[in-house]
Amino acid sequence: MSAWRSAVVVGLIAIAGCREQLTTPGRCPELCPRGNVQLADTLLAAMDVSDTSVRGYVLVREASYLMASTLDSLKSVMLIRFLKRDSVWYPDATDTAYAGQQDSVVLSVVIAQRDTAVKQLRLAIYRLPALLDTAATYASMQPYFTDPFLVDTVTLADTVQSGTVTFRIADSLVIPAGDSGVVSLGVALVSPQQTVLTVGSGNLGTTPPNLAYFVHARAPLDSISKAFQEPPFVSLFVMSPPPGQPPAGVLALGGIPTARATMRLSLPKVVVDSNNIVRATLLLNTTAPAGGFARDTFTVIAQPVVRDYGIKSVLWPDSAVSGAVRIAQGQSGPVELDIAPILRFWGTTVGDSTPRLIVLRVYPEGSILGSVSFAGRAAGAAGPQLRVTYVKPYQFGLP
Amino acid sequence: MRRLPVVLAAAAGLAAAPPAAAQDSVFGIRGLGFLDRSVSGKSAALGGGFALFDAESALNPASLSAWRGTAGWAVAAGSNHSFDAGSGSSSLSATRFPVVGFASAVGPRVVVAVTASDYLDRNWSVQQTDTVSPRGTPVVASDQTKSVGGVTDIRAALAYRLTGITLGVGLHALTGSTETTVNRTFPNDSAYLAFTQQLVTNYSGVGISFGALVSAARRFVAGASVRFNGRLRASTADTAASVPLPLEVNAGAYYQPVAGVLVTGTVGYAGWSTASDALVAAGQARSRNVWSVGFGVEAAMLRIGGNLAPLRVGYRWRQLPFPIGGSPAIEGSPLSEHALAGGLGFDTAGGRATVDLGIESGSRTAGALSETFTTAYLGLTIRP
Repeated sequence: MSAWRSAVVVGLIAIAGCREQLTTPGRCPELCPRGNVQLADTLLAAMDVSDTSVRGYVLVREASYLMASTLDSLKSVMLIRFLKRDSVWYPDATDTAYAGQQDSVVLSVVIAQRDTAVKQLRLAIYRLPALLDTAATYASMQPYFTDPFLVDTVTLADTVQSGTVTFRIADSLVIPAGDSGVVSLGVALVSPQQTVLTVGSGNLGTTPPNLAYFVHARAPLDSISKAFQEPPFVSLFVMSPPPGQPPAGVLALGGIPTARATMRLSLPKVVVDSNNIVRATLLLNTTAPAGGFARDTFTVIAQPVVRDYGIKSVLWPDSAVSGAVRIAQGQSGPVELDIAPILRFWGTTVGDSTPRLIVLRVYPEGSILGSVSFAGRAAGAAGPQLRVTYVKPYQFGLP
Repeated sequence: MRRLPVVLAAAAGLAAAPPAAAQDSVFGIRGLGFLDRSVSGKSAALGGGFALFDAESALNPASLSAWRGTAGWAVAAGSNHSFDAGSGSSSLSATRFPVVGFASAVGPRVVVAVTASDYLDRNWSVQQTDTVSPRGTPVVASDQTKSVGGVTDIRAALAYRLTGITLGVGLHALTGSTETTVNRTFPNDSAYLAFTQQLVTNYSGVGISFGALVSAARRFVAGASVRFNGRLRASTADTAASVPLPLEVNAGAYYQPVAGVLVTGTVGYAGWSTASDALVAAGQARSRNVWSVGFGVEAAMLRIGGNLAPLRVGYRWRQLPFPIGGSPAIEGSPLSEHALAGGLGFDTAGGRATVDLGIESGSRTAGALSETFTTAYLGLTIRP
């Protein structure tokens, strides 16, 4: 065996045998490190130096759902303007078919959420002015939600909790000549109990309502039929009372249009300039029971602001740098939101240059009904506080 | 050109030599760490008794005179430990490279060499679990403190052969670093984030050693070495400290009563109490002066591939300088170690390479604490 070969063989044996297992259970104090990990806890009562809340981040027409509500506290109806239905189609290369007899009309919606405890729901479908636009209000639409404009009333099976449902509505749904093929419908909820129903709007990846016309061509091609599928051109809902800006001193989150709250924090340098924080809890107090679907829960998250442009501030997109807490509909009292990752982020090279500003909002914004409001700094002792648990600098010792 | 592989291998070995010990021990958490034994596979199998005469061990620069040409060598040591902490036992393992070296004869009387060997092992890791109540509610906290690294002894040495006596001198540079990490997790409560803090400590120091081998009688050689060390300087990004290192003295002899049989022994002393004041200032227990003894027997009874393959057995005992469980105010339990060893060596590649295998098994005891260990040594020497 050559010297080279010997070296290679021995080297391989040595490398193959390399392994490390060094960890032992500590037997203290004999075989434990000299230092101790020591925790400290402090309450920062006045760290919220300014806060505000603004509604309008996700507008009604941008929400992922359409809402119909019969609650005393919130009345709401859906408004849908469908795309123009063509009156001509081309069954083959040489023929032109003109829409003739209309056989049926089918409305499809995707149930997003309903209160399954409430039974015997029905949808009342009304004819609205064809050129419906987003300036409509609950009050301005009320004249159309009356019997003269009623197209049909359909029943939502009690077993249907989510997914697509289709209703064959009045076959006689005609498109007035003056409306150029455009149909707008209003959908109201009829229920023996107060409740809320949401369906997909087509925004944020949801499936929109659809109106299908099944028609036959005029003679001599009256043996040919076609189904026109028309998605919405405009879909929204209007409500009463209309949403307004949150009152001063209240940190309102969620709802629709969605509200966000912004808090500017003043933190001791020692808190921000270290990664020793193991827990930082924002202590909040609700000003009213949380809104939303009955017995539902939703998430409130806190995110740091990268650039402070007021209500249009840019948020740090990394979901790991955030805090979250689940809120239940009807919940009131104190809420604890852990935001230690945000404080640690501010201690990094990247985060150091960002403002000490956090935004509170519901998640996913524009897709849930949940809403909650917290007392702001103006509430004094009931306002936000921050409880920080951190590790005191570890004493490694030398040598 | 035929020497190129050896030169390259030696250079690579020096570059790759980790600043870590041949043997890790749970007791390395105390004092400056675990005191290493920079011995070859052959010396390890002889209980360390031959280390003073072994050209591949870094104990005596005069022993380099054994080289008649150019040589490169490296030693790998894999070790298993078993330690019972009362709160739980653990099996540990580690692989280290205690010595790598390169030597070349310069003329008929002079040999020069460069070696890299382990001096202090500071590899350890401790896991503790506790229940803390930072907010009044108990939460389980799991702490792991880990140190990786150590101090390596780089030696440039020269041996000069005279009639009946060989002298040697070595210049030592101590270098290395440790990375100490403390990590706390809260395994049962996700509301608490993990905490990690790290400290890198760099070490440096110098020393000089002298050695001699004397052929006092026929088939009898006596040897001695003395090493003077300066201070070991430890520095971090914002602080520094230094510890005086001990005077080390070793003496021994070997005797060949008949051809093919070798009896050898070495006694060592290190004045580690000189480090006491600095250790106390750092919040540690006082160190102590330590003795070590090793002896072994080699007999060429076996042939492998036509070559003699000496069989070796040995025993060693030593004191370790850093007590366990002590503090500046409380005297800790002294730590000692003993081991039985054995092994063999054989030539290969036409006599241009030697493989030395050694294994030792022993225990370390400090008061009621003890650790058993088994270490396997694999040494390779190439003489192109």
